[in-house]
Amino acid sequence: MIRLAAFNWTHVVACLLVGVTAVLLSFGALVTTYEAAMAVPDWPATYGHNMFLFPLAEWLNGPWDLFLEHGHRLLGALTGLITLGLAGVVWRSSTHAAVRWLVVAAVALVLVQGGLGGARVLLDDKTVAKVHACTGPLFFAVAVAIAVLSRGRAPTASHEVATRVPVALLVAAYLQLVAGAQLRHLDASVEPATFHSLVGLHIVGAIAVTVLTVASAAVTASTEGSPSARLWSRGMLVLVGGQLFLGAGAWVANWGVPADIIPASWQLSEPLRARSVWAAAVVTGHVVLGMLILGGAVVLAIESGGFGRRAAAAAAGRRAFA
Amino acid sequence: MTNTPSFVHRSCYATLAFAIVVGAAAGCGKTQPASFRLNMVQATKTSAPEADLERPWEKWSQDRQSQVATILLAMFGTPDEPLALAESGLDEAKLRLAAGPVRSDIVGRKNGLYREHCVHCHGISGDGMGPTAAFLNPYPRDYRPGKFKFKSTWRDAKPTSADLVRVLHEGIAGTSMPSFALLAPTQVDALAEYVRYLSIRGEAELALFTYAEQELGGDEQLPTTREFLVDEILTPIVGKWAAAEESQIPIAAVPAGVDFGLPASDFANRESVARGRVLFLGDGGCVKCHGVTALGDGQANDYDDWNKTIVEVSKEVAGSLDASRQAPTGELSPEKLAEHRARAEWLHAFVEVLEGDALRPRTIPPRNLRQGVYRGGRRPLDLYRRLYTGINGAPMPGVGPSGPGGKGSVADAEIWHIVNYIRSLPYEFDGELGADRPMIAKDRF
Repeated sequence: MIRLAAFNWTHVVACLLVGVTAVLLSFGALVTTYEAAMAVPDWPATYGHNMFLFPLAEWLNGPWDLFLEHGHRLLGALTGLITLGLAGVVWRSSTHAAVRWLVVAAVALVLVQGGLGGARVLLDDKTVAKVHACTGPLFFAVAVAIAVLSRGRAPTASHEVATRVPVALLVAAYLQLVAGAQLRHLDASVEPATFHSLVGLHIVGAIAVTVLTVASAAVTASTEGSPSARLWSRGMLVLVGGQLFLGAGAWVANWGVPADIIPASWQLSEPLRARSVWAAAVVTGHVVLGMLILGGAVVLAIESGGFGRRAAAAAAGRRAFA
Repeated sequence: MTNTPSFVHRSCYATLAFAIVVGAAAGCGKTQPASFRLNMVQATKTSAPEADLERPWEKWSQDRQSQVATILLAMFGTPDEPLALAESGLDEAKLRLAAGPVRSDIVGRKNGLYREHCVHCHGISGDGMGPTAAFLNPYPRDYRPGKFKFKSTWRDAKPTSADLVRVLHEGIAGTSMPSFALLAPTQVDALAEYVRYLSIRGEAELALFTYAEQELGGDEQLPTTREFLVDEILTPIVGKWAAAEESQIPIAAVPAGVDFGLPASDFANRESVARGRVLFLGDGGCVKCHGVTALGDGQANDYDDWNKTIVEVSKEVAGSLDASRQAPTGELSPEKLAEHRARAEWLHAFVEVLEGDALRPRTIPPRNLRQGVYRGGRRPLDLYRRLYTGINGAPMPGVGPSGPGGKGSVADAEIWHIVNYIRSLPYEFDGELGADRPMIAKDRF
């Protein structure tokens, strides 16, 4: 017979939260790709219905924009409920202070994020949309940190450099998402020169993330650190490589092959198709992979001892005792 | 290891600081409602200071700009609330579907289509100065001069609605302009109507500034009577659009023996292709820009009309500014000195406008016809039309007559042979024509 008390409920619920948040952010990315944020003009109601009582058939058979936006709202509500559930589990268990504080941060962020989502609709404001897009990945990073720190395995102590580089990668990965959000939620009144600067910033960010990922792989391989950190840093190489590819693809999907830097013989012979599935998949995939890289960077930073080592060790101690 | 926590803290602070900086750069305030921008190049160009100027140049120039903005607002509304006067011939219902912010209405129909699909490149005012414009080559089209390249009408005529819909539906190969074939036909129609609206509005703006320059003194106000605004400004523009359907070029019958259903290399087409090559190299005059090899390696330093305007104005302003700097001012009378200063002020303002309100001019290279990428469409009919009228706004001249009853450099029916030759080029072995050794213009002539 399975003893429920033997489960590490904090970890289980945190993992569930990570999974649901990943789906939520993917829906959010699709909402932006299809400019579906205003598909439902009211909030928190959906076309006058209580959000949870909106007719299922209307949601599933209605316009694609409505499916995305209402789905995003439902997933947001589910994420909020799971976060509150996680807070309850952590409150009842004797989890380390760092995890408790992270859960407090998660509850605060999920409430703020819900409010921002509502404000984005009610004010129909792109600036709020940008902030909403930056808070989402932050919440995801916190959820991943809780899941990793609560799993009951302490990371191996690493050399100082091996802890700093992954932390720098984590910071760079988040900032890159912030820069990307400025490009995604582009206001029509933005001057070409400003857009030019934002693209430059995003490219510098891509270079920084790539260099730090390579450096993380190098330092975790060359120092006596955690084998898990080594594995994660290699996995990050794959993710970042894929992200560079998707980044170039996202540019092509939006604006074609850059005529000034790519030879004419490489130009597309057919015009791009606005709103094609592959273009939406590439552009949205770029955002989702960015989020996964951020999550991976959180795991790597913790595994390499850069964050919450004491919390993880404490959790590991309790698991061993149990 | 003892330093790690402080490093982590520093990293977190740096993240926060960066996020604040980016947020500030992106504009932390509430997004402002969209508004049309004035055509500042035209506004400044047509407001050169006059000799008998009593008020400071900047003051009356700004007054004129606000007059024009007020008139345009009354005639055309705002980007969120477009207005279609009955005399404009525009369909306001379609405009409302395309205009405004992106949002679904009460029946779930998406509005704000222009803001969703077009504005990032073409800009709110249709000036081709959207945020992404500087990255694109060619630049996005500026609708305001009312010139359109790919159409079925005479070179200087407006496009038909079907022409605009076709460009939207097919996209423009070899450029960043995508195909909107996946949009509902009603949405594409609405977008085409909105393009027409922006173009008519832009032309009206140009007409108002030109009228003010030619007919008014610096202190005079533009008339705001219905007779002036509708009869003198709007009607001539709308009339050209209304005449588009009747301005379609005649399409000659395809000569016997030519079969576009077969490859250009097929035996049935060989004679036609050979004849097309002769015309391409001879009477058609295609070789001057597209080159003997058709690689587009002929004359390549020309500009299209949109860029040429900026190039010419920039040269004029730079020359006038040099002359103004070198002019001796010591011996000028107070009146002449004031005039000189006002002119210098205007020139400096013009330089700023050209730097801020216009994209860096780019030349337009002739098309490499061996790539098989045709911006105006790949159908034989599309190529025929490009050859017949040339490309409006671009240096490409037509080989057909310039208007009804005229005579072109190539007979109408013969144009089909050039079409056939052009269609054969992507499949021809490059070495046969020396394509592996591109020639430069001076060697060729």
